[in-house]
Amino acid sequence: MSAKKWLVCFVLTLLVLILSLGAFNWAVDPFGLFGDRFMNWYAYDMTQNPRSSKIAWLDAHHDEYDSYIIGCSSTSSYPTEALNRYFDARFFNMIMYGADMYDVECESRYIIENYECKNLVVNVYIDNGLHYDQESDEMTYSQHAKTEGSNLLSYYLRYLYAKPKYAIDKLMSASSDTYLKQSFDAFNPQDGTYDKRARDVEHISDTESYLEAYPVFGNYPTIHPVMTHIDDTVGSLARIKALCDQHEVNLVVVCAPVYYEYFHCFRREDVRRFYSEIAAVTPFWDFSMSSVSYEMRYFYDQTHFRNCVGDMALARIFSDHTVYVPEDFGVLVTPGNAEAHIDAIYQSGPAEETDVSAVVPTLLYHSISPEGDNGNGMVVSPETFEQQIAALSAGGYTAVSLEQVQDYVRSGEPLPEKPILITFDDGYQDNYTYAFPVLKKYHMQATVFVIGVQVGNKTYKGTDYPITPHLTDRQMKTMAASGLISFQTHSYDMHQSSAYEEGRARIDMLQFEGEDEQAYIDLLKSDLKAADEQIAGISGKEPIALAYPRGAYSELAATVVAQSGIAVTFTTEPGANVVLKGVPQSLYGMHRRFVYEKTTPEQLLSYCSVARG
Amino acid sequence: MSFTSFPFLLLVLGTLVLYYTVPGKAQWFVLLAASYVFYLWASPILGLYPIAITLITYLAALRLSALNARKGSMDKARLKRHKRAMCALTLLSCFGLLFALKYLDGVLVTVGALTGQKFTPLSLVVPMGISYYIFQSCGYVIDAYRGKYPVERNFGKYALFVAFFPQMVQGPISRYRDLGPQLSAARRPDAVFLRDGIQLVLWGLFKKLVIADRAAAVVGTVIDDYSAYSGGIILFAVIFYCIQLYGDFSGGIDIARGVAELFGIEMPENFRRPLFATSIADFWRRWHITLGGWMRDYVFYPLSFSRPFSALGRFARKHLHGAAGKILPTSAVTFIVYFFIGIWHGSDPKYIFFGLWNGVLITAALLLEPVFARIAKAVHLDRECALFRAFRMVRTALIVLIGRYITRAETFLGALDMLSRTVNTFALEPFADGTLLKLGLTAQDYIVLGVSLLCLLIVEGIQERGVKIRRSLGGKNGFVQWLAMFALTAVVLIYGFWIKGEIATGFIYMQY
Amino acid sequence: MEELIALLSEICPSIDFENETDLVDRERIDSFELVAIVSTLMDHYEIELDVEDLLPENFNSAEAIYRLIESRRG
Repeated sequence: MSAKKWLVCFVLTLLVLILSLGAFNWAVDPFGLFGDRFMNWYAYDMTQNPRSSKIAWLDAHHDEYDSYIIGCSSTSSYPTEALNRYFDARFFNMIMYGADMYDVECESRYIIENYECKNLVVNVYIDNGLHYDQESDEMTYSQHAKTEGSNLLSYYLRYLYAKPKYAIDKLMSASSDTYLKQSFDAFNPQDGTYDKRARDVEHISDTESYLEAYPVFGNYPTIHPVMTHIDDTVGSLARIKALCDQHEVNLVVVCAPVYYEYFHCFRREDVRRFYSEIAAVTPFWDFSMSSVSYEMRYFYDQTHFRNCVGDMALARIFSDHTVYVPEDFGVLVTPGNAEAHIDAIYQSGPAEETDVSAVVPTLLYHSISPEGDNGNGMVVSPETFEQQIAALSAGGYTAVSLEQVQDYVRSGEPLPEKPILITFDDGYQDNYTYAFPVLKKYHMQATVFVIGVQVGNKTYKGTDYPITPHLTDRQMKTMAASGLISFQTHSYDMHQSSAYEEGRARIDMLQFEGEDEQAYIDLLKSDLKAADEQIAGISGKEPIALAYPRGAYSELAATVVAQSGIAVTFTTEPGANVVLKGVPQSLYGMHRRFVYEKTTPEQLLSYCSVARG
Repeated sequence: MSFTSFPFLLLVLGTLVLYYTVPGKAQWFVLLAASYVFYLWASPILGLYPIAITLITYLAALRLSALNARKGSMDKARLKRHKRAMCALTLLSCFGLLFALKYLDGVLVTVGALTGQKFTPLSLVVPMGISYYIFQSCGYVIDAYRGKYPVERNFGKYALFVAFFPQMVQGPISRYRDLGPQLSAARRPDAVFLRDGIQLVLWGLFKKLVIADRAAAVVGTVIDDYSAYSGGIILFAVIFYCIQLYGDFSGGIDIARGVAELFGIEMPENFRRPLFATSIADFWRRWHITLGGWMRDYVFYPLSFSRPFSALGRFARKHLHGAAGKILPTSAVTFIVYFFIGIWHGSDPKYIFFGLWNGVLITAALLLEPVFARIAKAVHLDRECALFRAFRMVRTALIVLIGRYITRAETFLGALDMLSRTVNTFALEPFADGTLLKLGLTAQDYIVLGVSLLCLLIVEGIQERGVKIRRSLGGKNGFVQWLAMFALTAVVLIYGFWIKGEIATGFIYMQY
Repeated sequence: MEELIALLSEICPSIDFENETDLVDRERIDSFELVAIVSTLMDHYEIELDVEDLLPENFNSAEAIYRLIESRRG
């Protein structure tokens, strides 16, 4: 090869190499800037860099939205569904982790100037006063060049020639992707929020168990932040306000709820100046300090409030009285009341435990029958049953319905003084024969969890094997009509008996080992749907609760169950239930105490009182 | 502007295009302009240093040349006095400046520490590459003093010699008689030069980015916190430091020489496979050759023939018999030269020890050579056999390695501490328990580094046998040539630029 | 000339001074040897050599060295 030919070859080789390296990042597109044509995985891209890839997403999809909410990570706790309902709009959540007001201003400007934007909700967090225009990583925290007005070519080149680690990570993650979110795909691209499906079905009960799960609240880190960027932050807000006025965008500014220990880390004079200056720019809803701030169970972690609190905040703004909102939660701050308001929030304190939460001991029965059982003591004789119920009644306990408990949590409707829940699993005919009369006699509400496929059966479904007879439609109708008994699901057919099944028995709602995830989810959904239709057909009410067969559940099962419209779930774990106003998670994974033939009325009463703490 | 940065690539490409389009007479000017763009890029103010040095040495050389021309018409002794004064004044001002910039703080602090007084450091900014162009231009002044070569009368061309951008920040240190005519020559693009230049640049990038920058990660992690590691890991890191230093410095020189070749200019070699050195003196003939050459021409020879050392030599030859009598003065001068080489590296006292370490060993080797020869003869050892050569290579490498403890440690005492830990806390377990993966490199990095080092060793082994790699490659068939080019380009692009360790480092020798 | 070659060979026994013409340029002799050669020449021929004479072209071959000595003695 002559030297000349070598040179030509070299230039071509170099070009091809450079182009192929770029093509790799373009095709895998770990930041979603080039359309993510092949993987179409914006949940991943947004997690990598929400600032940039959300803009890339919106450039292609902005006609699906007409309103935006924007701010740092706590912004994700305002549920899109509630925003859409209250504003009668289609919201996209422009949350960017670690965002400061510089980010918010750039992105807001771009959105207002380039997309249709009716409403803009700006969520200000107290630590926005600490930082301004900080970019901690040029790949994962950088703004889109379009929003920042920087050089587009060098911006795209930077991502085109980003080190391959990002693209390789994306490919590796794709192979281990699951239905639930993982650390690498934390976003819902459709509305821009964090994927909290699994997060929001966690079991929440009393403060002690919460502290065990979130020890940070027991030993809250003390820091001494100084708000050095109040002027920058408020300056950005003022420009956003001007922009909204100019483009006739409805601007709503909210200051997010802050956990009280974090709030008290800030210097009072900083907070005063920060809030008064914001009020001077625009009236804003302040949720930062109230009794909510003192209740750790309203927070996911040390700085992020829960979605249910976002629901409360929006309900306050829109005066929705069907949702529980503590009275001191949320004030519209104007220049006129700013000073007084700031003094007031420093006076706030925790709510009385008994005002916001209730203890609900829950009993678990199966069969009530004089015939006794084969030895495990779970069949309770009618006499014993009546003694137990009589004792509870005499002890001042009122058995309530699930709906009552749900109303308490959702809208703060009061419960009777000593509420308990009485539940029956499996749906045996003897519940009608022996238990129902007793319940009527003492006027106790109860919940029966039926196995859908077994309704009316005297033999195991599809076989001749005799089993304890199950309730029939008619019996269920009669019971439901009394107003005392509610029917809920114990799965339609996911509580099989391995003795009678030919293949692998589905004894509970857990995924089989090695079972395809999507097939399992589909099965779970169709089972719940079948149960739903059956119970609604018989009792006239769609079930809202599920008792997990064998008490067994997983995060995935709980997520799918919640998505199917189930608001209350029960396990067979013994222990107390504390339900908390405004926290629907306190209705998930509720504990129950097995009641046996040998359980004495004293034991029962003692459980109920211990459970009350 | 780093050699591995995008602006540098643009500068080289832009300069190339201009260089080969302007008329031959203006070509040197393009290089001069590019050189000052390169230099002023970092800081316009610091650009005054090379201009000042250029001016001083230019005028001094002119004056010396004028004095030389008056050889016949002037009293010889007076002429010599004149010339000496002129030369000394120039060298003093240049080296005085270098001293003030680089050493004054260190000296003040040391003196202060010794006398208990406190000096405020001046903290002057050391402009990049100042040692290199001061050495280069002072060599030129001494040549003018000796009058053996014509001086450059065109100020611009001389300024280009001082500031020629590929070499000005880290060498090689050239002589005017070699480089000057090449810089001002008119040239047409030559495919062979271009090809060879590109190959050399790629090879330099490979050594710097793929090898040195990876090795650097381990070095930084371990040595900056060496007390946290056991002896084995410290030794491992110092070996990596040797690799880093060689890859970094020789890679940088290859890039510089390669870029110069693109302009049809050949610069002197600065490294000749130091790993293959068989003695510490041999090592210094292979490492930083142009500095060694400068020291030889402008320190070693003049000192050897200076009056005191000549007298010492005569005295020794008369009174001491045998080898010692012949080489005593040479040894003394050698010792001084290595002392200078030591302090050339920096103002910290540790560099004096580094100089002494080399000086003592080389001097000792010189003095003991006859003894070794006698012993070898007595035990019938063939000192040229392959096995003994290998032994000498390993021995030399060990000596160099110990010297590297001194240059890399914070202080001389730190170096001693590191050495003692290497020996006293040596353990092999850390090499198997995953410690290696916590030093800043991934398993993949180690593999890349290992394979790259193997390639480097093979190539240098072939070169050591006298094969000119690029020439011999040029004779191979087209596919082999393409494969070599493709592999090198791909490795540099992928493992040099694309997949980089988190720690990217500047060129070490730019500080000198 | 023979005298010179004998003298040189004594200092650097391994070098063929009769035929080598690139002693310095190809680094056949190193700087120590060069200094040794120059000192020996100065003693033996009773001439004054200066550092300015240490040019490669003066020492590349025995012939060149011979010419150098002649020029100094003349």
